[in-house]
Amino acid sequence: MAQLGSSTRENIPQRVAVVAAGVVSPLGFGLTETAHSLRKAKDCVTEVTRFSVAECRCKTAGQVSDDRLLAGLDKGHHAKRLHRASHMMIHALREAMAQASKFEPELSVIGTTSGGMSYGEHYYRSLCQSGDLRHAPTWISNYPAQKPAIDAQDEVLGVSVPCQIIANACASGTNAIGHAFECVRSGRYQRVLTGGYDALSELVFTGFDSLQASTPEKCRPFDRRRAGMVLGEGAAIMALENLDIARKRGAPVLAEIIGYGISTDNFHITQPNPSGVGPQQAMERALHSANISPEDVDYINAHGTATTFNDAVEGKAISALFDGVPVSSTKSMMGHSLGAAGAVEAVVCLLALQEQFLPPNINFGALDNDLELNIVANESQSATVHTALSNSFGFGGTNASVLMRRIGA
Amino acid sequence: MSLAIAGMGLVTPLGSGVDSVWRRLLRGEEASATTISEQFADRPYAVFRVSESPLTGLAHRRLRRASLISRFAAAAGLEALRSAGIKVDAQNAERIALIFAVSNGGVIYTSRFYRDIVETGAQSASPLLFPETVFNAPASHLAAILGVNGTTYTVVGDGAVGLLAVKMAEDVMANKALDYCLVVGTEETDWLLCDAYRRWRLLRLAPPIEPFSKRNRGMILGEGAGAILLGRTGPIAIERAHPGGCYEKRAEADEILKRMLKDLNQTETDFVISSANGTFIDHAEERALEQVVPDTIIYTAKPALGESIGASGLWQVIVGAHALHCRELPPVLHADQNISLRLSCSRTPLSDAHSAIILSSGINQQVAGLRLALR
Repeated sequence: MAQLGSSTRENIPQRVAVVAAGVVSPLGFGLTETAHSLRKAKDCVTEVTRFSVAECRCKTAGQVSDDRLLAGLDKGHHAKRLHRASHMMIHALREAMAQASKFEPELSVIGTTSGGMSYGEHYYRSLCQSGDLRHAPTWISNYPAQKPAIDAQDEVLGVSVPCQIIANACASGTNAIGHAFECVRSGRYQRVLTGGYDALSELVFTGFDSLQASTPEKCRPFDRRRAGMVLGEGAAIMALENLDIARKRGAPVLAEIIGYGISTDNFHITQPNPSGVGPQQAMERALHSANISPEDVDYINAHGTATTFNDAVEGKAISALFDGVPVSSTKSMMGHSLGAAGAVEAVVCLLALQEQFLPPNINFGALDNDLELNIVANESQSATVHTALSNSFGFGGTNASVLMRRIGA
Repeated sequence: MSLAIAGMGLVTPLGSGVDSVWRRLLRGEEASATTISEQFADRPYAVFRVSESPLTGLAHRRLRRASLISRFAAAAGLEALRSAGIKVDAQNAERIALIFAVSNGGVIYTSRFYRDIVETGAQSASPLLFPETVFNAPASHLAAILGVNGTTYTVVGDGAVGLLAVKMAEDVMANKALDYCLVVGTEETDWLLCDAYRRWRLLRLAPPIEPFSKRNRGMILGEGAGAILLGRTGPIAIERAHPGGCYEKRAEADEILKRMLKDLNQTETDFVISSANGTFIDHAEERALEQVVPDTIIYTAKPALGESIGASGLWQVIVGAHALHCRELPPVLHADQNISLRLSCSRTPLSDAHSAIILSSGINQQVAGLRLALR
């Protein structure tokens, strides 16, 4: 609990390094597989197998393999009872900690929207249908939103780390990274673990279907034929550290987080303000926080859900601020993992910065007539990427953007 | 950095409004239990509910379809701003942050939404209910009512989440561009929650809540909201918000509590607002309190108000702040008189009290605490 109390450090903005990262998503397990899938423009959206979607319009999602989730995990009684969201978090945190020896976080800030929701569904369904409730205590105790994050810390770190769980709908992951960044930048903390997770659940899948936000077709962000989103799942972790301290102890620095912007647009609980003011404010505030201009940004990983409203509003906001910056929505490849999305996409940006390429926006035919965007269409591209922006926008009018920079740039 | 409480708001089963609830707590009153049942189960549960009367004046269009949890939060949040004399307008909307603490969220609409799916299929799922099931729906509604357009976070956790939200507020307010942070904790009760906690052996079927009882008979759920407006100046300071910790096994909770209490008790503490609620956490708190602050007066409001999980931490802060302000503690109800702790068994005058510790032990692995001080 070595929280800095020094007013001197608190008054000077500190630089914030990403010293480790881990990811599990439909694109793959780990950074290497994820980068490979991004480069190959792999479509990882498949037929939903976890629950019946017979009555839903949408039949597909980006899914993480249970076999792979369970492989390599402790096969003991305890691990088996954990929710699969916990398993995803354990994999992601284990990968990150393998790169970050001596990283002892003072705090973790993690985003999610639904925790162990499918366990809640099992419990409710069994109650309603007079089913078998023998496992109810396990379902109930593993259902809470904070549980997968705490499980992963117990399993991988083996120590008690204070844990803050942010549930700001689809912006949760980016909000978590942004808040963690500000905690380190303010000098109040030296090391903070951050990220996000969410596992596919019937309730949430059916919810988006009921709103007709999800599509029976391919996910085509920013395309004129776009018809909606597909859901996904996953977990991603980033270890953030005061850059000077990380360098002093010889830690590898993967990238630097340089800015964060948050806004609330108050227009409607599920729809963004058509003017684009919310997303635009979030991006402007991130640029202001980083003290850079729009011309300094080389790549934008858009929220890009492929819903009519989101893409129109985000596209308008991007083109109001940026001139021809390459944009892609990697949700086209893996679906929208909600609370994990911002964290997974921050890892995508990290890979773009490290490996100098632009991740693609697949299933793309032609740009919406009302948009002026430079879409990274269908194939990844080699490029010089010094600075990347990642956007996430969610229900409740919550908007968040983070800016990351290649180290040494 | 020390923040101050500029305003407070309360919606509880014992009434609404800080002064009104405080007077009833001092008189040793407790909320009346009501029984709730469910069509597919024959077991009813007793809960402490909020009466509709404090919510009738909330006419904003965003609350028309909102769940109770959002309406509780709006009522408490608006009272906190009113009591501080703060009006949110275009000039200051960006300078006020909003942080919400919830545990189970909009469980009434969530269970109704999922029941339609289970009973009649996915095609019956309501697009009107679904948006109200997301954890940040209450925060979104209050942000829209107030016109707050900057930082809005919803923090999710167990009974410690209210204090974790205050800790987050302290971190957020490190940004000098912010003048205030409104922290709101809110929760609603539902049959499903009662059943879940009973299966987890944490709930008893009827009141009272017996804090620090050797028999751990369990809690009774309550509902409502608590809100504090944090600013830079004011008579009562949050001297330190502790980031808390997480325990893996229940038996480890008291060790984390002891460490946290020691951190918070570096100077003399006049009283502690405990989160004892009739479950295993009482013993963890008892052991930590006995060791670290054996002579300090202890109070818990949960027998009077119920265990409201997401709202309870904010209720504790408000009770602690008001006790410092009024220099008096209410009586702890239904407590075991044979424990070694120094409980506030009747109205306890605090003539020269100037500091208090608020301790929150959640039932799902999280603990947190903070220290209040008269400035």
